[in-house]
Amino acid sequence: MSALMAIKPDFDTTSPPPATAEATPLFELRGISKTFPGVKALDDVSFALWPGEVHMLLGENGAGKSSLMKVLCGAYQADAGEYFHEGEKVEIRTPADARKLGIAVIFQEFSLVPYLDVAQNIFLGREFPSRIPGLVDRKRLYREAQAVLDLIGLDIDPRTKVHALGVAQQQMVEIGKALSQNARILVMDEPTAALSDRETERLFEVMRQLQAKGVAIVYISHRMAEVFALGDRITVLRDGKLVGRARPGQTTPDELVRMMVGRTVDMSYPRNFAETPGEIALEVRGLSSKNGIRDIDLTVRAGEIVGLCGLVGSGRSEVARAIFGADEVTAGEISIFGKPRRGGPDAATMAGVGLIPESRKTEGLALIRTVADNLAVAGLPKLFPNKLFSPTQARRSAEELIKRLRIATPSPNQSVALLSGGNQQKVVIGKWLAAGTRLFIFDEPTRGIDVGAKAEIFALIDQLVADGAAVLMISSEQAEIVHVCDRAYVMRGKRIVGELSRSELSEENIVRMGMHHD
Amino acid sequence: MSIASDAATRPIGLHLSRETQQLAYRLLAVALLCLALSIATEAFFTANNILNVLRQASLLFFLASGLTLVILTGGLDLSVGANIGLSACFAATVIKATGSPALGTLTGLATGLAIGICNGLMVAKLRIPSFIATYGMLWVLHGITYYYMAGETIHGFPPGFRQIGSGYFLGVPIPVYLMLAFLLAGTIFAQRTIWGQQIYAIGANPVAARLTGIPVDRRLILVYAFSGAMAGVASIVFLARLNSAEGDIGEAMTLPAIAAALIGGASLFGGVGSVFGTFIGALILTLVLNGMNLLAVNANWQPLVTGLIVILAVWFDMVGRRRT
Amino acid sequence: MTDQAVSSPLLRLPAVPGVAVALAGLSLLFALASPGFLTAGNLSNVLVQSVILLLLALPMTLIIMTEGLDLSMGAVLTLASLVLALIVVATQSLALGLIGALAVGLAFGLVNGWLIAGLSIPPFVATLGTLGAAQGLALVVSDGQSVVGIPRFVRLVYSGETFGIPTPILIGAGFYALFHVLLYHTRFGTYVCALGGNRDALTLAGVAWKRLLVAVYMLGGAMAGVAALLMTARINAGHPTAAIGLEFDAIAAVALGGTSFDKGNGWLFGTLLGVLTVGVLRNGLNLMAVPSSVQVACIGALVIAALLVDSLRSTRS
Repeated sequence: MSALMAIKPDFDTTSPPPATAEATPLFELRGISKTFPGVKALDDVSFALWPGEVHMLLGENGAGKSSLMKVLCGAYQADAGEYFHEGEKVEIRTPADARKLGIAVIFQEFSLVPYLDVAQNIFLGREFPSRIPGLVDRKRLYREAQAVLDLIGLDIDPRTKVHALGVAQQQMVEIGKALSQNARILVMDEPTAALSDRETERLFEVMRQLQAKGVAIVYISHRMAEVFALGDRITVLRDGKLVGRARPGQTTPDELVRMMVGRTVDMSYPRNFAETPGEIALEVRGLSSKNGIRDIDLTVRAGEIVGLCGLVGSGRSEVARAIFGADEVTAGEISIFGKPRRGGPDAATMAGVGLIPESRKTEGLALIRTVADNLAVAGLPKLFPNKLFSPTQARRSAEELIKRLRIATPSPNQSVALLSGGNQQKVVIGKWLAAGTRLFIFDEPTRGIDVGAKAEIFALIDQLVADGAAVLMISSEQAEIVHVCDRAYVMRGKRIVGELSRSELSEENIVRMGMHHD
Repeated sequence: MSIASDAATRPIGLHLSRETQQLAYRLLAVALLCLALSIATEAFFTANNILNVLRQASLLFFLASGLTLVILTGGLDLSVGANIGLSACFAATVIKATGSPALGTLTGLATGLAIGICNGLMVAKLRIPSFIATYGMLWVLHGITYYYMAGETIHGFPPGFRQIGSGYFLGVPIPVYLMLAFLLAGTIFAQRTIWGQQIYAIGANPVAARLTGIPVDRRLILVYAFSGAMAGVASIVFLARLNSAEGDIGEAMTLPAIAAALIGGASLFGGVGSVFGTFIGALILTLVLNGMNLLAVNANWQPLVTGLIVILAVWFDMVGRRRT
Repeated sequence: MTDQAVSSPLLRLPAVPGVAVALAGLSLLFALASPGFLTAGNLSNVLVQSVILLLLALPMTLIIMTEGLDLSMGAVLTLASLVLALIVVATQSLALGLIGALAVGLAFGLVNGWLIAGLSIPPFVATLGTLGAAQGLALVVSDGQSVVGIPRFVRLVYSGETFGIPTPILIGAGFYALFHVLLYHTRFGTYVCALGGNRDALTLAGVAWKRLLVAVYMLGGAMAGVAALLMTARINAGHPTAAIGLEFDAIAAVALGGTSFDKGNGWLFGTLLGVLTVGVLRNGLNLMAVPSSVQVACIGALVIAALLVDSLRSTRS
């Protein structure tokens, strides 16, 4: 500890928070990088945590916050970088390593077992042995669980099975589980997203108690009010890089938003924005679905690219799925080219709608099949009206699409799993071209695609609308929306909260509208 | 990127050639089995025994070919053996009562089909996992069959009807012709219709298939109905061959039918397999069992061997998957 | 969100008394239909006859809670029973016979667990394969014949009484208590529930779940070995088809008892009620001279009804 203390990292310009006088950070990351195929998720991120501070982590979707958390808790292994715990170099290779260092992470997706009770979930893997060998000391289990529940102010019986709890209560149990590990470093990913005001207040109180005990808290939030109310320091990530540090007293929300956005998008062509959009391709009125979206109104015309933006979880994909018939609609009307849409995705396909889903590999393609198979599958009824399938004709149609979309594949019989992300995406688009689709719904069309291919995908989308198709495009990359779309809807909390015309479209406006300002 | 993928796929049509390769291995296995058995036993390479093997394989094939389509969608039909039992007993009753083999055959096919549709509805509409739904169906069918037959045997059918199972045409058993006919029909259905293509797509990725506009529920009902109908076909040939119907007819056929499909390259994870592969699988399994018979191995070893073959086939499939 | 917390237990409510209602309804029906049903002797009979099923249904509950299935149990029981009979006849030692039966069960459990946890083969296929293997081995070791000449001390395990109570009932009660403790008072039980409910949670908690899964299937095999002793004592022989299909009754009892094939939602007491329901159904139908075949169909119908309810409930919530 002593030898390393001397090397005070000069890249961390902010000194410890005034409340603490200690010279050594509780925990420190230096030069952490993590690459996934095609994406640099974390790029040389360094960051120190002092005891008793609440460290706000900000960034847009995909900026690298979750990757950083996962590296910190041992779920991912960093490709490069070092960790220091109280000045001593340590390794984090597994979740167990992280836990030994006192790091506890509360993920948004729950790590709870539905048919175990609250106490069993809190102490999963850390059950108390009873005096009788082999048995669990249940009295102590429930006593300690009650103590944890008292601490977080959650008024439920520790014997309640978790599946019977609401989402907010489950979130609180998750927090209790992390606290019960006597964590010295607590990482929380939007913990208040599902909480009521009262529960939020209680959580903040607990956080203040923990702070007083010297626990360091990393807090990811999209709510500016929380950032300024709770944070001691603020770190902003963008494109996997650390782009800014600030203290709440010395910055403004506007400044933070500017730091978060401003991503560069490489577009090798200018889009020709249509002056006069065509007929109404999609009209949605008062749409609510089983997946939680409420009262959605939107219109897309032929020849238009309409953006649908908002934070992850704001309900964008759910809107796409409801329009496509994949999720049950509970209220409202959808019409496609003037005709009401009924039934499931098969009916939507027949009506000329095509969905390019967010998760290409699990929802868009049959990875074990060939390029030709995947290109033909949506258009089978159109290509072969007499129901007889001809491999030769399918191959010919595939070759045409490969040429037209410039899909880089040695042969139509190549397994689609072997193509790059960009080419796989072109195959998904191609299958809808073969089906004669006229309304395309793109959900994150450039996710996991390298820069050159992104431009190609946008050129393709542009070509589609130039040919008279209509496009609804979901993207977390505000820059893409601004660059490509004729106009855009912004979602927040499963509702559409605003529409931005071409002249109003800017990253700042999108982020401002999509963020919580409570 | 293009350089890398070019290098990885220099032999054009890698995917196809791999499937052809696999088929070639299986044909080689058939040839080697035949060769080994010809050397080991005198009785094997006689016209009589070869025709016998083909006839046995045909019964297995009827059942396994329907099952193959179900497996292609990533499901399983455990009720096919019990389906044979009930379909055969109903068919037998109708033949006895009306004296009309045609009506009896129709009854058998209709029974099989109806059972298949029930399976399909449970899987597609109620979303009960296929193995559970068809496993429950298996015992319900057993129960109905045993109750219906009450330990009785129905036997003695018109000679014309019996020709279906034991007759010959140009020296070749009639079931073999039927097998070839269904092999052709099944292959055309799976490879040369859009329904077949959709079935492959469903098995390869059911979520993507649904989001590609394939009517997944209807196709699932179709394959279970087809599997049921093929059990109906098997029941008729069985009946005609045995010239009698008992409650336990076909009971022991489910595991071998699954084994035949899996040996033939069908993957329980869906999307991989073919009717022709299953035909080869049925041949291989029949040859193994026939060979054991000729080598005077106790018939009691047969379920053990079949069970091991099922596990081995699944294991090979998993290893192959992990490698790609 | 709060209405979810209220409605979930309500949704579960119909499932809890469902099996109890079925049990009570069937009992009432048979009591009315057959005068022989509601006698002390017959009721004790029902209990005794249900014990073998209970011994299989208990571990089957845990297996199904892990989102697994063991189709090989009946065949393994049969094989274990034959091995036990052969050993006992040869050595006159019950202990050696029981060790043999347990060894058979544990071996098959190990293979099942290894295929499922180690090779990730779907449980129903893996155990369908081992079902064939066990059935085949049973035919091989017995050469298709019954093993007879079971000594009296073995028969007494089934027909004898201890402290004035039929021995099988005590055995059944003992194992039920053991499984209750195992499932609700040990780490193992907690992890079994998590195996079906959320394997990631176990990984995050640092639990090596693959070994646990193997242990669950080995427990199933061992219980088939114990049940083999009672089966041999009951039919006074080792028979190569003695317990074929008994796993279906076990699965049926578990499904009737409200354990679902999804998310580790298990209920051990429900399994006990499910076993009794199957037992009452078989006994009552026997008294009414309904052939055994119809009994199977009735159980099948009951199970499909239970699965339907299960499926409807899960789509509703």
